[in-house]
Amino acid sequence: MATETTPSSAPAKVKRVAIVLATGSYQREAPTTVLRLVEKLLQRGVDVNVWAFEEAVTLTNKDQIDHNEPGSLQKVLGEKHPNIGRFIDQMIRAGLHGAKLDWVSCILCVQERGVEKHQMGGSIVGTLGDLWKFVKAADRVICIPTYR
Amino acid sequence: MARYLIVDSRDLTEYTNGRYIQKVAGKLKEDGNDVTLFLIENGVIAARKGGDIAKNLTDLSKRGAKVLVDDISCKARGVAQLADGISQSNVDQLADLITEGSDKVIWY
Repeated sequence: MATETTPSSAPAKVKRVAIVLATGSYQREAPTTVLRLVEKLLQRGVDVNVWAFEEAVTLTNKDQIDHNEPGSLQKVLGEKHPNIGRFIDQMIRAGLHGAKLDWVSCILCVQERGVEKHQMGGSIVGTLGDLWKFVKAADRVICIPTYR
Repeated sequence: MARYLIVDSRDLTEYTNGRYIQKVAGKLKEDGNDVTLFLIENGVIAARKGGDIAKNLTDLSKRGAKVLVDDISCKARGVAQLADGISQSNVDQLADLITEGSDKVIWY
């Protein structure tokens, strides 16, 4: 007689993660950390929804330009310092063939900072309603603190 | 019992509530939960061997919590020697902890 197995009490694997980010370009390390983490989550087939507000809406400004590194650092870092929007763009596009990254910038925050018309393709200008839906749908919500 | 993942990205000495998050981790462990404290960015500074807060982290690990540090953050800050009970980790493991190794994630 077969032994009856106990149903697994292990929680279902996380399929969707929402990340709330308020730190902008060149302010602190948080955007870099978020991108490092998003890349790993996408590799695991996890869909990621990023809600960017306050200064984080500048991360997807398409008019950022690569700038030259100081001469003394070029041997270490290379000649050009790439902008962060380029990495976000690459990860959004990677979702065409794998797990999906949605990157939503808060409409009030982009308007306040004059970057509404400068958002790169792929990122979406959205409302708090989108944040609510992200949170509601997520298996995990990660809120990255902004240091004051 | 729940599995808590606490990610600390701030230097624990920079803000007084750095003490608070250590207390939270200790209390959660004391209450029988599975606790992982993952230090990243400036959070890894506290893990340097010889520091005062490092002693608290060692004590936390002795009480059964896992204390992990991000390797890239350590390299960027020249943190080569870790206090006892603290293990080197990476963002791959952080992603695993978020997706499969925790029930609740707190990012401080």
